[in-house]
Amino acid sequence: MVIKTFKVGLKYLLRRPYTRLVPDREGPLTSDRTRGRHVLDMSKCTGCSMCQKVCPADAIQMVKVEGPWPQNVKKIFPRIDYQRCTFCGMCVEACPFNALSMTNISGWYLITRDKKSTLYNPEKLSKVFETKEYRITMVKSLAEVQRLKKEGESNA
Amino acid sequence: MKEVIVMNEEIELFFGPQHPGAPGNVGFKLKLKGERVLDVELIPGFLHRGFEKMMENRWWEVNVVLSSRYCVEDPDNMELGYVLAVDDLYGVEVPEKANHVRTVVAEMSRIQSHLFWIMFMGAGLGARYIPSWAMAAREEILKWYDYLTGHRIYHHYMVPGGIRWNVPQDFNERTLHTLNTVSKIVRDIEEAFITNKIVRERTEGVGVVKGSIAVELGVSGPTLRAAGIPYDIRKADPYASYGKVSFEVPVGSRGDSYDRIKIRVKEIYESIKIIEQLLPKINYEDKAYRLQLPTIPPNGEGLGRVEAARGEHLVHVVNLRSRYPYRVRIRPPSMPLLTTVLKYIVSNEEVTIADFPVIVKSLDPCAPDIDR
Ligand code: SF4
Ligand code: SF4
Repeated sequence: MVIKTFKVGLKYLLRRPYTRLVPDREGPLTSDRTRGRHVLDMSKCTGCSMCQKVCPADAIQMVKVEGPWPQNVKKIFPRIDYQRCTFCGMCVEACPFNALSMTNISGWYLITRDKKSTLYNPEKLSKVFETKEYRITMVKSLAEVQRLKKEGESNA
Repeated sequence: MKEVIVMNEEIELFFGPQHPGAPGNVGFKLKLKGERVLDVELIPGFLHRGFEKMMENRWWEVNVVLSSRYCVEDPDNMELGYVLAVDDLYGVEVPEKANHVRTVVAEMSRIQSHLFWIMFMGAGLGARYIPSWAMAAREEILKWYDYLTGHRIYHHYMVPGGIRWNVPQDFNERTLHTLNTVSKIVRDIEEAFITNKIVRERTEGVGVVKGSIAVELGVSGPTLRAAGIPYDIRKADPYASYGKVSFEVPVGSRGDSYDRIKIRVKEIYESIKIIEQLLPKINYEDKAYRLQLPTIPPNGEGLGRVEAARGEHLVHVVNLRSRYPYRVRIRPPSMPLLTTVLKYIVSNEEVTIADFPVIVKSLDPCAPDIDR
């Protein structure tokens, strides 16, 4: 019975390694539904704080941003702390005005050495993409996907 | 002349949590005489996060995010227990499609947990090469989870009233493909590892828990079934879609570590069978997969029981007409395994320090589940 172990073991010994070389060769594993970094549409957000209330990890704080925001009288927007965020997507589901959505930017794209840079201000959240291989993964309406894609292309 | 030191006095030894033989983040205080383990005391609390209390401060639907986190290896059965309890509180029947998909996801979670345990068991026996194939099989399942739910480890796919998103159109093929890959690897592992003579000699007759004693010790799950009692909540009190599929409940006879190993491997095949039966039943045209529930559930209590990978997982929720639960009580399956069962085994047979990791790992406790 030990011979069998060697026989099957040899089969696996001759296979290619299963592990992947990240980040040298490949990016993080993502799919069409991977929940990653958020995108905030500041022209839609009304500052209702629903996202802050629903967040199970207390990752969202409402901060003031000066500017012409007719829909947002209090001028407050969510700021997400990625040290706390669990990427559950509850905030996207809870937002009544479709202002928040999620992309598949995750894994080591979000890794940083500077702790302070994990705090994403509303302006940083609304600027769409740093990488080209993004996909919008969690939104509530199809029109939102198209709008974000266009914006991403013009930014890239 | 060489001096031989014979240890005659009893010593106390701390075992874990940073020990490859320890089952995750728990420690033990062992009382040793020479090699023989005389007594064992569990030291929990390294991972205590206070989930039951935390859940009282979060909304009903948000608590799903917390509930998957009590057990890293088997998150979906934990989620299912919670959402069943909340569904019970609302008094709703979820759509059929949601039930089917919930069952598929929960069974995948069981397979994934048992695969993880193979690696775990291998570490206890000092065998690393073959069990690491199980991690490759688990990786395939994690990729499948990413494809379906958007996350690899904690999925948050179940919600009170159904499932969070509809299944993709190619769900059937993709799932079958994953199962195919997994079952091939499991077959190889069975051939090369489970039937191996060294594994058998290390585990046969070690850590025996038999028959009615297992019930008295409060055990459930594979350990109870290895003891010869065919009790499985999926059969005894079918939830989700388990009433609509046929499957077997593997039962052991000797109740030793080797029986527990065999039963878990058989359970993987049974889970694959369940998923294969359910896939054709999922109606892709059906739009009903999630009920819109009111934000405040009615007053009262709800109960959810599931057969998790380690045994019976029970969730009891109480509501006093609020957006927040008044109380969430969880009865985890792992606690008796490391307290009553270990004490029983150690007092009943001659356990040496080398057998100890083997026994602990064949019980497959989940340390985060004990602490919560
Ligand atoms: S994804 Fe979840 S944890 Fe992250 S900010 Fe949104 S609600 Fe909070
Ligand atoms: S992002 Fe959405 S939920 Fe959050 S404050 Fe703005 S509108 Fe409200």
